[in-house]
Amino acid sequence: MMIIMRPGAPREQIDAVISAVEGHKLTAHPIFGVEQTIIGAVGDGHYVLKETFEAFPGVLEVQRISKPYKLASRQFHEQDSVFEFNGFTIGGTEVPIIAGPCSVEGRTQILEVAQAVKEAGANALRGGVFKPRTSPYAFQGLGEEGLEYMAEAREKTGLPLVVEVMAVSQIEMMEKYVDIFQLGARNMQNFNLLRALGETRTPVLFKRGMSATIEEMLMASEYILNGGNHRVVLCERGIRTFETATRNTTDINAVPVLKKLTHLPVVMDPSHSTGDSGYVQSIARASVAAGADGLIVEVHQDPPHAISDGKQSLTPEAFAKMVKQVKAVAEAVDRKLVNSHVAA
Amino acid sequence: MMIIMKANATPQQTEAVIASVKAAGLNVHLSQGVEATIIGAIGETHSIPPERFEGLDGVELVQRITKPYKLASRQFHPEDSLVPLDGFHVGGEEIAVIAGPCSVESRSQIIETALAVKEAGASALRGGVFKPRTSPYSFQGLGEEGLELLAEAREKTGLPIVAEIMSQVQVDVMVKYVDVLQVGARNMQNFNLLRAIGETRTAVLLKRGLSASVEELLMSAEYILAGGNNRVMLCERGIRTFETSTRNTTDINAIPVLKSLTHLPVILDPSHSTGYSEFVAAIARAGIAAGADGLIVEVHPDPAKAVSDGRQSLKPEAFASMVKQVGQIAQIMGRNLATVSEYQKTGWA
Repeated sequence: MMIIMRPGAPREQIDAVISAVEGHKLTAHPIFGVEQTIIGAVGDGHYVLKETFEAFPGVLEVQRISKPYKLASRQFHEQDSVFEFNGFTIGGTEVPIIAGPCSVEGRTQILEVAQAVKEAGANALRGGVFKPRTSPYAFQGLGEEGLEYMAEAREKTGLPLVVEVMAVSQIEMMEKYVDIFQLGARNMQNFNLLRALGETRTPVLFKRGMSATIEEMLMASEYILNGGNHRVVLCERGIRTFETATRNTTDINAVPVLKKLTHLPVVMDPSHSTGDSGYVQSIARASVAAGADGLIVEVHQDPPHAISDGKQSLTPEAFAKMVKQVKAVAEAVDRKLVNSHVAA
Repeated sequence: MMIIMKANATPQQTEAVIASVKAAGLNVHLSQGVEATIIGAIGETHSIPPERFEGLDGVELVQRITKPYKLASRQFHPEDSLVPLDGFHVGGEEIAVIAGPCSVESRSQIIETALAVKEAGASALRGGVFKPRTSPYSFQGLGEEGLELLAEAREKTGLPIVAEIMSQVQVDVMVKYVDVLQVGARNMQNFNLLRAIGETRTAVLLKRGLSASVEELLMSAEYILAGGNNRVMLCERGIRTFETSTRNTTDINAIPVLKSLTHLPVILDPSHSTGYSEFVAAIARAGIAAGADGLIVEVHPDPAKAVSDGRQSLKPEAFASMVKQVGQIAQIMGRNLATVSEYQKTGWA
């Protein structure tokens, strides 16, 4: 941390800051310039907040040098984290694809989609049963009934389940059914939920908030890691910008940036990051080309009649085509899809 | 255009709007709902701004249905446009890789870089001689002397030259030297400059403004096209967002969006769109995988000593590795990297 003093700050103020730095078990390195004094605070300062020093008299500005997160950082854990699931790994050479409808709408629907995405090469099944819809009047999900259908779909296809959890109160019940909790963008900074997920040992697919910086995302993932649940998979799903031609703006830069900053796997959700099924394939290819460790894609057997997210859902045929294209890109960047027999 | 009347609009107000639509040479399609009346204005609406009706009494909202640009639209020109550069075309199967320093700094620097990027597989040379720097105290470019040096580099390598034009007073001197006029992000809506470039027949690389929407980019392209210069290439170079871990945010969505809206070639600038050399190769690969028709990349023989943009400039070796990776992605996309033809190597052009 660098603490920049105001020009002309008296010696007493400088000394007060130095002793505060030392009070946090950090070493103070004051640099006395012609106009200003800068105090370097050196040590394991990831848990010391900037705010700690900002309010001291004579302090102009505090700049953080080290990252405010630790467990999520590559400094702390140099090797890529690789997590193993039923039938695939994520974070290593394999690029798994999670696919399925936005919402579980009924038994037939989910069983049909599960079979279709499995055939097209998906490695896990997504499907929402608690839906964080913008409007309170929109379909809110089937709840536990939906989980029963999901479990049946897993039994028939062998695909592990990825389902969004919206509240602490749902964790216990959902854990009985799901293989991977999805933490939605709107809950990225729901810190109670993050802490509760940290207490579980169920892996978490962690979505970036719509207006969250990469650093905020990593800080939020730190909540889960800090609870002892180390299986966190990060997901870029598009950010809010001024551009309205697409639902969100895919922050493709986030893929190599995250791969540099953290050891956690990074997956892309091109369905939400574009909002338009016409662009999903391009962005899926681009993401794997940029180094993403996986994809999560919305697929529906009849998008025009989907209860939610129909515009951004691929048909099973379009999804199969996407898988083929992504496979070729994965191989070009020395990775591979999980089911090497698929899409020959 | 759809004109939605206020819930309490009077029949006289609706009549007045209808008359105004007809006066604009458009046909009227009236639909009277329970709560609101909607007037559909049908015809050639791209040249009629919504403002024309927005101020009329009783109007709640005017929505444009057709695009406000025409010449740039795929509707107008369903086939991909090919922009010819010496020896190859941008917008077809061939992928252009434009590379070079941010600024032309000296003779040895530009010649050395030109030879290095050519060797690594570049198909055109970039180099700024008029620099739009954020600070008025920063290096502003070598001007015409820099153009002479670029021309010499072209003679030695055969690479066509892309250089930024900042003002319409530079048009005459620039077209004598360059193959592609680059319109920088900060000038995307410098309409006088756009009109002046529309009068030339030199190819243009039009960069998206830092906070410009895709539609605004296409409207700017329309200015150049409307002047009769149809050799326009569009360039995504990152947009301004709240994220600060990169210089800009690469709007990768813009690539498939533009390819669906327009017939013009789309180029990605991963140097500016990330701001960090370590992310350039990943985003270059992503750009081609997303369907971009080319790349423009900053390369410097010694980035640490570059006068400008050193942080985002690749060394020639890193650029060569990027070109290889991009070549593999291009192949998957059924495309190939453009190469400048042999005869130009001797400086025939």
